[in-house]
Amino acid sequence: MAKKSAAKKKPATKSSGGGGVAAAVKKAADLIQVAYDTGTPVPPIRTLLPEGDIDAAYAVQETNTRLRIKRGARLTGRKIGLTSKTIQKQLGVDRPDFGVLFDTMAIPDGEEVPFGMVLQPRVEGEIAFVMERDLKLERPSTTDVMRAIAYASPSIEICGSRIDKWQINIQDTIADNASAALYVLGNTKVKLEDFDGRLCGMVLESKGEPLSVGAGAACLGHPINAVRWLAEEMVRRGRPLLAGDVVMSGALGPMVAVTPGQVYEVRISGLGSARASFAAG
Amino acid sequence: MSDLDTLAKSVDDAARNAKAIAQLSMGITLSLEDAYTIQKKMIGLRIARGERRVGMKMGFTSRAKMIQMGVSDMIWGRLTDKMLVEDGGRISLAKYVHPRVEPEIAYLLKAPLAGPVTPIQALAAVEAIAPAIEIIDSRFDNFKFSLEDVVADNASSTGFVVGPWSKPDIDCSNLGMLLEIDGRAAQIGSSAAILGNPARSLAAASRMVAEHGERLEAGWIVMAGGATEAVALTAGMSVRNTVEKLGSVSFTVGA
Repeated sequence: MAKKSAAKKKPATKSSGGGGVAAAVKKAADLIQVAYDTGTPVPPIRTLLPEGDIDAAYAVQETNTRLRIKRGARLTGRKIGLTSKTIQKQLGVDRPDFGVLFDTMAIPDGEEVPFGMVLQPRVEGEIAFVMERDLKLERPSTTDVMRAIAYASPSIEICGSRIDKWQINIQDTIADNASAALYVLGNTKVKLEDFDGRLCGMVLESKGEPLSVGAGAACLGHPINAVRWLAEEMVRRGRPLLAGDVVMSGALGPMVAVTPGQVYEVRISGLGSARASFAAG
Repeated sequence: MSDLDTLAKSVDDAARNAKAIAQLSMGITLSLEDAYTIQKKMIGLRIARGERRVGMKMGFTSRAKMIQMGVSDMIWGRLTDKMLVEDGGRISLAKYVHPRVEPEIAYLLKAPLAGPVTPIQALAAVEAIAPAIEIIDSRFDNFKFSLEDVVADNASSTGFVVGPWSKPDIDCSNLGMLLEIDGRAAQIGSSAAILGNPARSLAAASRMVAEHGERLEAGWIVMAGGATEAVALTAGMSVRNTVEKLGSVSFTVGA
């Protein structure tokens, strides 16, 4: 499907870097895959890539995306990262990034996540959107995006890093699938007109204590802005958003490090709730 | 004049002259009880000048706030009519030492409240709720203080702005709150940051005033506490707090 067009586009990116970059991309992708396969984080991979080369980092991500699909995983959507101004400042970037979601990463609401399934897990509360139709326009407007969305659900993204101690820069995280790991959607479907995407409150709690709070505006001013950015980026990179895709639109509050054995619950005003439950160590 | 009277006067003078003083706790050892006594005496001086009690404020009700200030207890302070800034009004920076703002939620009481109550009992005494902004200011150098200092200094209470009142049948446990400076988001949070639910703050207010032999009166306003970190004010700023379902409240800052 979309894989073919991605394959066609890639050489244009790589030719500017030459064979040296291609080899470096392969090496970085292999290293990250080793972290997945062995369950042991690896040092930052940015040192392998041309400094600041974002496309090379996405090429690393794409290499492992293809490997996963080859191994039988089904692509189910995308996650958007770096959607808060604070995080962008921390990483010295001025735009978000994205990673790919697979069926193997979807966890049903409240189902226990085995200890060790995710390397260095952290959780964040966000809004998930499910696409009603394909979005293949080169420059989709906010209107186009809103018309293409079927509904929103409350969600928890369980992030992870294959890079040792989360010592990531922008290239490391992009190459590492935007630090994606698992995602949990609450079992509620809400139409866009039935909640306030900008002002909806978000609280992520564990044992009754609010660990992270925020609101819709924390995600690029409005989560739809993030989806619009993604839709355009995905067309440009040859894997447009398709009907049925899940879009994890970006954190509404600070990320929280996971303690084994704890249950994390997100509540988003107007959307409902979702739970990520972690097995004890 | 007792020591505590002298200290109350020094804090009151600092507030009136908008001139910071050294922390009280640097000179002598104060108990928390002493600190609340100083606060009461200091408000007494304001009442003697013709000010009127109109409510109370809760402080350190959010994790973000406790971390920012390095304390672990909730505190409370007394509000007078002179502290009220009109919604859409303008303040003069010269009247403050180093003011900051926090987005809040305000409760208007229709019945007195005192002693231990559940959040549900507390809400039964509520006439209306509103988006609010608290202007806090510390009378101490560099906004640095011990728990006893800040309590003596009326919990840094200085001014409050209250927006449109809504009926209290709105669930306030998780309302998005957006503090904008000049139209740009400065702090983004949720009312859940206020003790998990601002109604708990109101219940705590009822308990805490009773511990000091007072009660919350009908007609009073209770400021439930900041939902995010505070933002420092500078001249020329336009400040607005927008709360999901409740609307917005704003003011501007003059020199």
